[in-house]
Amino acid sequence: MSSLWPLIQNETIKIVKRKRFYVILLVLLVLVPMFTYAQMKSAERSRDKFNSDWRLELQQRITDNESSLSSDRIPDEWKRYRMIFIQQMRYYLEHDVNPNEPNGVTFTREFMNNSISLFIPLMIMAIASDIVSGERTTGTIKMLLTRPVKRWKVLLSKLVALLMFISLIVVSAYIIAYLVSGLAFGYAGFNLPIFTGFTIVGSEVDMSTVQAVPQWKYLLMQGGLVWYVGVCVGMLAFMVSVLVRSTAASIVIMMAALIAGNILTNMASAWNSAKYLFMVNLNLTDYLAGNLPPIEGMTLNFSLIVLAVWAALAILVSFSVFTRRDILN
Amino acid sequence: MKSTAWIWRIAATASIVATVLLIAGFVYAFRDINYPQGQLITEQPGETEIESVPPVTAEPQGLPALPETIKVAAIGDSLTRGTGDAGGGYVRRTIDLLNAEGRETEMLNNLAVNGQTTEQLLPKLGERGVRYSLEQADLILLTIGGNDLFQGSGLLSSVNSGAAELELDPELLMEALPQATERLQRILGTLREINPHARIVYVGLYHPFADLPELLIPGNIVVSAWNQAAMEMISRDANMTLVPTFDLFQHKLDVYLSSDHFHPNGEGYQAIAERIVKGLL
Repeated sequence: MSSLWPLIQNETIKIVKRKRFYVILLVLLVLVPMFTYAQMKSAERSRDKFNSDWRLELQQRITDNESSLSSDRIPDEWKRYRMIFIQQMRYYLEHDVNPNEPNGVTFTREFMNNSISLFIPLMIMAIASDIVSGERTTGTIKMLLTRPVKRWKVLLSKLVALLMFISLIVVSAYIIAYLVSGLAFGYAGFNLPIFTGFTIVGSEVDMSTVQAVPQWKYLLMQGGLVWYVGVCVGMLAFMVSVLVRSTAASIVIMMAALIAGNILTNMASAWNSAKYLFMVNLNLTDYLAGNLPPIEGMTLNFSLIVLAVWAALAILVSFSVFTRRDILN
Repeated sequence: MKSTAWIWRIAATASIVATVLLIAGFVYAFRDINYPQGQLITEQPGETEIESVPPVTAEPQGLPALPETIKVAAIGDSLTRGTGDAGGGYVRRTIDLLNAEGRETEMLNNLAVNGQTTEQLLPKLGERGVRYSLEQADLILLTIGGNDLFQGSGLLSSVNSGAAELELDPELLMEALPQATERLQRILGTLREINPHARIVYVGLYHPFADLPELLIPGNIVVSAWNQAAMEMISRDANMTLVPTFDLFQHKLDVYLSSDHFHPNGEGYQAIAERIVKGLL
């Protein structure tokens, strides 16, 4: 333990000095204003159409979805998705709560909902994919391993530093999204009620378990789920980084996996065993919002276990490979 | 060395705080999803606001004039939705005509659902969002009943599939009529209750299969019985109008019907819209 602490310290300083973390912050600072602007435009348009009355707008969306249900041309799974959407939105209307009230907090919530499966993992990869293979590309790995320190300690220190930065990335994504969008939408909205606990039974939504939580609490819960996904993706990228010699290759491998997951969630509902792939299980926040999972039979606990198993295997592989392999160049 | 020490201190504290926060959130989320509470902690703030929609000055006798800016809400079946017309159906066309006449008209909601019957429409009128929209309207456009008469009988599908036996038993259709008209009565009553001051325009039914000789007479009997029943209810309310379409479509089905042989096309909707507007202004 005594030799582990300075190692972690060393790894942390290396990550900061290599400016990877600053790059991530910069990417966020460039992209979030773009999303904010897009959101502002769409808010403007609906304001023109419905005289900024969200109740009319929401009711119109409900009716439009209802009307499309009677069409034979729409696939059954879309119908299920829409039926669930209709029931939830009706619930919001009945309780006179605007689910999309434009403010910085709502934007942050939506932004994180949309980034959990690709954007945040991508940011984490920027650090994770480089953490071991970067040392091999530059050759510094030899210096590191010639020290009188056990190899597993070296790797563990890197893992701990990575975990620290995963938390930092998630939190800074929240902070940046909130601060930037607040400029456009205002900083209020922490106490706005959001409904959670929709239980989906077939195509029906069980409303008896629904509860309202203030939006700040929703953000907290959402953040926890985003963090969990981030840690699991980070572990996998960590493994790839150990296995592959070059940083570029390790990034490409992880990115291909993530993008494959995004495509699969949109089309794999018929391929049932795809639910055991980690990249299909990344949308944990859907369970919080009560959305239909991409593949039948997926629940929060199922996804958590799948992700945990993948992450555990990744760590196992990383350590056994790193401690045994010869480091040649 | 000093700067690296600071980097470490800041990074370490920040990440520990962040991690603790996120783990707490994760535990919350886990509990919330797996053991939902089912408790509403919020009051319903908008409740009073909605109920205090401007009290209606009771003016039961005589037609109150439409205001300068007309707010339109539409409800009913596919005709109101505008199925068969790329131009938005009679609702959009009515609004466009009114605007062209110099009366500022705006659309609140088109609450119509394709294939809706009287039975399906009734519960909709209890929904808060639907009522909210109807409450604010100065003009409510309504079509309903076509699906009760034609869809229920299985006639539409057999015509479209070109089935040989286009049996239309007028007696069978007439049997369903009393219940359907009774529901129409309740729909009109509920609409009036939701919005005591709006002009309600009900668009009557036409007979879409009048060009098929074996369906002509039985269909005509049923449709006119329906229209007759509707007319009787509507004439009891000074601020309700029935706009007939039976006569319009009777001999011009080939001109006014769209390719599905059931819904009007653009021209058909335009003819309906023109009639509505002539009765309004």
